[in-house]
Amino acid sequence: MALEGLAGALVIAFVAASIATVIRLAPSGSAESLTEPQKTPFLGGGAPDTHAWQRYHIRYYPMTLLFIAFEMEMMFMYPWAVVFVEEGGKAMMEMGMFLAILSVGIVYGWREGIFRWQ
Amino acid sequence: MAIAILRRLAGAAPAPAFPAIGAGMRAAADDLFLDGRLIRADSIRHARILLVAGPVREADQDDIRRLHDQMLHPRATLWWKSNPVPDFAEPATCDEDDPVAAIEAIHRALIEGARDSEPDILPNEPPNPWRGKGDYGQGGEGMMGGTPYGRPMAMTDDDLRDGLALDAYTAPFGPFLPMLPPGLKLSVTLQGDVIQTAKLLRPPSAQAEAYDGTVTALRALGRFLPILGLEAHAVRCLEAARSLSAGKPIELAKIRQFLFWSGALAAIPSGIGMVEDTDVRMRVERWLAALDESPTGGLDGSATMSPLKPARLVDLLRGREWSEAILIVNSFDTDTLISLAPVEAEDAETEGRAREDGIRMDHEGHGTHAHGATGT
Amino acid sequence: MTQVLAIMVLPLFLLAGIVAAAVLDRAVPPLVAGRSLKASFVGPITVASSRAMGQTGATEHPDTISWILAPILYFTLAAIGLSVVPFAPGVVAADLDAGIVLWGACESLTVVAVFLHGWSANSPLPLIGAYRYVAIGLPAMLLSMFVLIAAALPAQSLAVTDIVEAQRSVWNIVRQPAGFVLFLMLGLSLSLRGPFDFADPYDLAGGTTAEISGAARLTWWLARLAMLVSVSAMTATVFLGGYLGPVLPGFVWLVVKTGLVLVVLVGAGEVFARLPPDRMMNLIWLALLPLSFLMLVAVGVELLLWG
Repeated sequence: MALEGLAGALVIAFVAASIATVIRLAPSGSAESLTEPQKTPFLGGGAPDTHAWQRYHIRYYPMTLLFIAFEMEMMFMYPWAVVFVEEGGKAMMEMGMFLAILSVGIVYGWREGIFRWQ
Repeated sequence: MAIAILRRLAGAAPAPAFPAIGAGMRAAADDLFLDGRLIRADSIRHARILLVAGPVREADQDDIRRLHDQMLHPRATLWWKSNPVPDFAEPATCDEDDPVAAIEAIHRALIEGARDSEPDILPNEPPNPWRGKGDYGQGGEGMMGGTPYGRPMAMTDDDLRDGLALDAYTAPFGPFLPMLPPGLKLSVTLQGDVIQTAKLLRPPSAQAEAYDGTVTALRALGRFLPILGLEAHAVRCLEAARSLSAGKPIELAKIRQFLFWSGALAAIPSGIGMVEDTDVRMRVERWLAALDESPTGGLDGSATMSPLKPARLVDLLRGREWSEAILIVNSFDTDTLISLAPVEAEDAETEGRAREDGIRMDHEGHGTHAHGATGT
Repeated sequence: MTQVLAIMVLPLFLLAGIVAAAVLDRAVPPLVAGRSLKASFVGPITVASSRAMGQTGATEHPDTISWILAPILYFTLAAIGLSVVPFAPGVVAADLDAGIVLWGACESLTVVAVFLHGWSANSPLPLIGAYRYVAIGLPAMLLSMFVLIAAALPAQSLAVTDIVEAQRSVWNIVRQPAGFVLFLMLGLSLSLRGPFDFADPYDLAGGTTAEISGAARLTWWLARLAMLVSVSAMTATVFLGGYLGPVLPGFVWLVVKTGLVLVVLVGAGEVFARLPPDRMMNLIWLALLPLSFLMLVAVGVELLLWG
């Protein structure tokens, strides 16, 4: 069942990617090639002095670290969800503790100002 | 065959036009795009027609040329109650109040191939010569200098909010960006999406929109709401403004009700763009209150603040995140904005020179800035 | 055999969904704006043709490969996400034991696709849109995973087919109404719409789309609509019982429910205001995420007491 399912997903992925590629790369109605002034980045009239790529100042950087903690936590939650009904109260307690610890993490992060845009 | 069908269908599509709006034409342009036969393009790349509405300032001529060349083929320009900028061969003009028919005709002719796509105006040259020079083909000597791939890279600077020294990106924004008032051109230095410094290059074009209670408030809301993602509500406001100007009755209760449920007021951060003890949210509340006024009379123009000597727009924008800055700029009517954005003589003169200086300094500062990270 | 059927139905489902979404996109805004309703099937097709005809542009030295791949990836993710949705009892293109894990993977890679799309243009407005989207896309994804886990609890399985079957007694929307709303928010975020459109907003002149035109814009547009359809079908399946329903055949029920969610999403995209990104990030972490925890606990307690 798992293998068949995976094969099905792969077939769908292949078909969808092919369709999107054909649409994206289809020849357009215009034969003219792009010129340098045509390629100037759009700024509403002006031209930039520098490339836009830069060491970008990401304002939410600390948030992404907290995000990783939660993302890891999902690994634990997937199997937990399957056995929850069998295990009953014990599973409930475990996840309750786990979520409580993570919530403390959010509160701590909030106090430290990691959700501020800086 | 397939191409022919494609052409027929494309010809029936609404004409995507990018408006470059000059003095006194903002309201007319807003009304124009309420027409379902047109699409207002947010970016010049989405447009097939550059619609120049109203007179073009001398200083804006280069920007118009650049915008024109950024458009993709097939493309055309229509000068609506405007004076064509030199270098445009055989410009199409339209002096009627309603240019929709003219735009549609040009659009269809372009699609069907009856009208040639307009050629570039600017020379087909890279912004800076660089190809093949230097050890790595970057255009300079050794590891340094030159302009790799035609432009230099941004250089580091300290940040206003956390002092972290990352790249400060400076670029001119405007004068024809959809979310900025027409004519306003700012040189903005960004770190990430936070504005470090803003410098006025050109003030907004005068619009001569007399204060008219409800109509003014509706137009202001119509320009403000798209920033909050409420394009449909904005259309409702602009349509109501148009009806009211034409003397038709409108239903204002619905507008207020919809705006209440949209959470528009709650979405605006409080305390930004503070001028004379009113912030952006209060100014929006003022518009909402003005909806109750009779079309003429009630609050007069002076109540929506006019002599604003001490405040300057560029100071209000400093340290603001991009979307907050856009909210601030759009919370003022054009006249107020012009008074907030005084043209300082030296600003205008040094516009070009300052930017060149900036680049040169960046190059010289390459070595020292590499160790400039100060941490938090 | 039924799997082959599902694989053949899926593209048709997606195509019909895209057309429906495009028609709604043209019909709903005038409705919200209080203008006369003009729903037409021709409208979206003419717009698509217009885009297909235009020249595909570029900026100075973009990351061309990423720029081409981003919309393709986005579209493909929408299709893969849809592949775990059962169209009728037993008719599913990818019947995986861990269906919602695959769906979750599609969600997270969407952030990558949107980011790449904005980043590769080498132009400031798309670049800001790209980085801004990540700030909202990441925590929004967390929300959805908590909500989906809560949906998986009563089914005792991560397979989407089991989640549907577990709703025979009561739909998940009754079990966790707040979860349904949170999942709709995720739908808006995945398809870059209205209050969650932080990648392509007006204040960035179209954000990641500001530099694209022609075929590139057409593909991006289709991919966004495809993602909208995919997330609508998933919502209908996980919260509204999917193909379950009396009298009518299962497939019809799924189509009806998907259409309903589609209308709600397109409408919500027009009527709610968008917060500045920092405020939205705070809202998600400090209000919505704790709410999703509570939802999970509530479902757990309910199962222990009455399950």
